[in-house]
Amino acid sequence: MTLLDTVLIVIGEIMIGVGALADLIAAIGMNRFPNFYLRLHAATIGTIWGSFLPLIGAALVAAGCKCLGEYRWFMSGGALVTSFVILILGPAGSHALARGTHRSGIVPVEPKVVDHLEEDESHPTSQELQEVEEGDSP
Amino acid sequence: MTGMTEIQMFIIAILPIYVAAFILYTLRALRGPSISDMVLAIDAMSYDLAAFLVILAIYFKQPILIPVAIALALWIYSLDIYVSKYLEGKELGE
Amino acid sequence: MSYGEAVLLGITALAAIFSTIATYMAIMERDLLKAVIFSAIQSTIYAFIYYMLMAPDIDLVYIPVAVGLYPAVIIALIKKTTREEKP
Repeated sequence: MTLLDTVLIVIGEIMIGVGALADLIAAIGMNRFPNFYLRLHAATIGTIWGSFLPLIGAALVAAGCKCLGEYRWFMSGGALVTSFVILILGPAGSHALARGTHRSGIVPVEPKVVDHLEEDESHPTSQELQEVEEGDSP
Repeated sequence: MTGMTEIQMFIIAILPIYVAAFILYTLRALRGPSISDMVLAIDAMSYDLAAFLVILAIYFKQPILIPVAIALALWIYSLDIYVSKYLEGKELGE
Repeated sequence: MSYGEAVLLGITALAAIFSTIATYMAIMERDLLKAVIFSAIQSTIYAFIYYMLMAPDIDLVYIPVAVGLYPAVIIALIKKTTREEKP
């Protein structure tokens, strides 16, 4: 085992440990926050810090461990592909879910000072106003 | 404890933290007040489960277990899209 | 049996208990959309159990069917019909 392999394994283990702690913090926050829009913060922690970072660490560990044999590059590449898939799809899924929830209005926005998005959605758009005028004119 | 490398001992030591996080996520997914809470909890749980599966593949030293994590991370995204499309009141594919 | 195998089998048993709870709640739920989400929880836990039982080939087929296609078909069906189950 060369020095480079040892450095890769130690950095990867640190990343996996930090990811496990962030995962536990995100799970506690998912149970403690009172509202859906506040739980999105915990979901962000759990997706990026709790899942993206341990996958990068697992890729480094698999690249540095000679005990995995010749297929360790396959494991490293698979972990890297999974990490980038999660980096793209996690925020996109959370955003789609928050958009649908806010438009349907099944969860009230509870600690609220002002909500410009709701005001914009409650007013009719210019195209709808034009359609109403065209319907009334003849 | 004989015959284990130090990486395997590290993974066994880090494992209860992940299991506690999964239990808490599952509790929120089972008793969430609204549908969005349940979908968000199962979504975050599945992304963390993908990371956990890769770490367990390193523990088992079997490279054939890796593609399961990619498939899980890709397909759990579709559940978000279905539920958000239902909540917005649109058809699938619109 | 080494220490690590005992710990991993215990985790598998815990996952099986939670999947049983999710299945019971999916059967007893009156709101059909929530029942679909409970079924998705059960599918995710089953994917983990198949992984732990060293069957990744079955898992690669089970994940697209049970997590991807089955909720899509059932949600489209709920949208065409009613959401509440009649008593």
